Amino acid sequence: MRNALDTLYDSAAWIAAMFMVALLVMVMLSVGGRELGFHVRGTDAYAGYMMAGAGFFALAHTLKRGEHIRVTLLLHALAPAARRRMEIFSLGIAVLLAGLLAFFSAKLCWQSWQFHDISTGNDATPLWIPQISMALGTLILFVAFVDEFVCELRGTRKAYASDELLRNE
Amino acid sequence: MDILITLLLIVVLFGFLAGGVWIGLTLSGVAWVAMELFSSRPAGDAMAVTIWGSASSWTLTALPLFVWMGEILFRTRLSQDMFKGLAPWVERLPGRLLHTNVIGCAIFAAVSGSSAATCATIGKMTLPELKKRGYPDDQVIGTLAGAGTLGLLIPPSIIMIVYGVAADVSISKLFIAGIFPGIMLATLFSGYIAVWALMNPDKIPVATASYTFVQKLYESRHLIPVVLLIMAVLGSIYSGIATATEAAGVGVIGSLILSLLQGSLNWQSFKESLLGATRLYCMIALILTGAAFLTLAMGYLGLPRALAEFINALGLSRFMLVVALAAFYILLGCFLDGISMVVLTMGVILPTVTSAGIDLIWFGIFVTLVVEMAQITPPVGFNLFVLQGMTKRELSYIARVAMPMFVLMCIAVLLLYFVPEIATWLPTKM
Repeated sequence: MRNALDTLYDSAAWIAAMFMVALLVMVMLSVGGRELGFHVRGTDAYAGYMMAGAGFFALAHTLKRGEHIRVTLLLHALAPAARRRMEIFSLGIAVLLAGLLAFFSAKLCWQSWQFHDISTGNDATPLWIPQISMALGTLILFVAFVDEFVCELRGTRKAYASDELLRNE
Repeated sequence: MDILITLLLIVVLFGFLAGGVWIGLTLSGVAWVAMELFSSRPAGDAMAVTIWGSASSWTLTALPLFVWMGEILFRTRLSQDMFKGLAPWVERLPGRLLHTNVIGCAIFAAVSGSSAATCATIGKMTLPELKKRGYPDDQVIGTLAGAGTLGLLIPPSIIMIVYGVAADVSISKLFIAGIFPGIMLATLFSGYIAVWALMNPDKIPVATASYTFVQKLYESRHLIPVVLLIMAVLGSIYSGIATATEAAGVGVIGSLILSLLQGSLNWQSFKESLLGATRLYCMIALILTGAAFLTLAMGYLGLPRALAEFINALGLSRFMLVVALAAFYILLGCFLDGISMVVLTMGVILPTVTSAGIDLIWFGIFVTLVVEMAQITPPVGFNLFVLQGMTKRELSYIARVAMPMFVLMCIAVLLLYFVPEIATWLPTKM
């Protein structure tokens, strides 16, 4: 189970990384197109979808690596027992909110498909296709939060000491 | 009654934040509750549409690319090269190699959009080199903490992209507007070092080597790659060839070429930079999308309009308003990171700023400056964290030695207020 979940988060992260590379390709296509005189329709919109993919698919992995920002000032000041209660409280809230997000993301994607919602840009993409990244990414994030919550209850939650967090702005 | 509920929401918001609920989720959660209470529009659907809209918005695509560029450059030998190229020029100035902190950060800031990354990249080189030569820790660490924040003011800048999207202002114009304030602040830092060195001549080690002018020029060859990269990124924006997004794309390609030529590009470093950038972007995206939804919900509450009317009724002079806003952001900056601070407040504060007749480009530079201060104010300041990790000193010590830089930034805000052209002149020349 542990291995399966970690594989899920890591594969999603790799998909996100691919989207990041694809975003670069889209942007360079539009620069190159203008300089060299060829035109690829809708690169701006596609770049946006690629960016969305990179963001949503990386959500769970980023959480697991402890890189989503939260205010830890109070948490670190508390005694271990109180800190544990506080962690369970904040993880509980997070599970609820992530669940809400996952549900409505899936609903949006489904509705776009149902009503044949088409992008208003000149790419004319059926919107449900790029929105799959949002539906799946937020679902995996929800799974990751439930995972963290259960680990915290069992006392097996790993704290990542990441120094990458420090380079974030 | 509405006021009461609004207050309650604000209490819940800060309660969740203080309790350690992830910032991005807290923002959308509070917004969801607010919409359920105040509008007949289905809150969940509005949330999904707003989050999708901001996560896939073209204007934001510069952000992940600039983040990636910073991650690539962090893994190159760029900072070593810059130290070699700069050191011969500053040996004769009062304060000698201490200036490599300021000038190094200012130059690196022109290819990096982040304060903490600038601090970490330059510090990786200057901290050990200056320590080895016997420069006083107080000054080395203090000036580095301050100068690292130039990463935000000197374009490209993550915080300016975030502000530009929130305030609907041209990101290219913001970038260009940041150049002179950035140079001004760097000059203030360097001036401080020089004055301090003249007052404490015994604390600065003697020069280790002397160079002829030709030798100095020859050593400067190490600066060529970074200068080319700056020209490619900023030059293309200023001349109008490229949008901010396209310049970011060019920057990523340029950084990859640079690290290839230096021999630091391999599968391992490419993978690390790519995944690191994806995570960093993802973290920012979660906050940005949550804030986009919160801004929408605040609109339904009528909070921004109410606040603007309230502040108008106070009849503050523009100067007092700016001072009050600066004080507010400095206080907030003690507890929140810069991005959260900007996205959390912009939706509410912008109508007030606009109705006071403040130029939005100028305000963007002002916000960037106060966010810079937040980087070095304890207990939450990212440059402090970075330096704590690198030097293993107490947070309170680093905050104390960085204090003069904080004061200099306050002076910079005043200068910017009294001479707004520092920021607004260059964008009109584009």
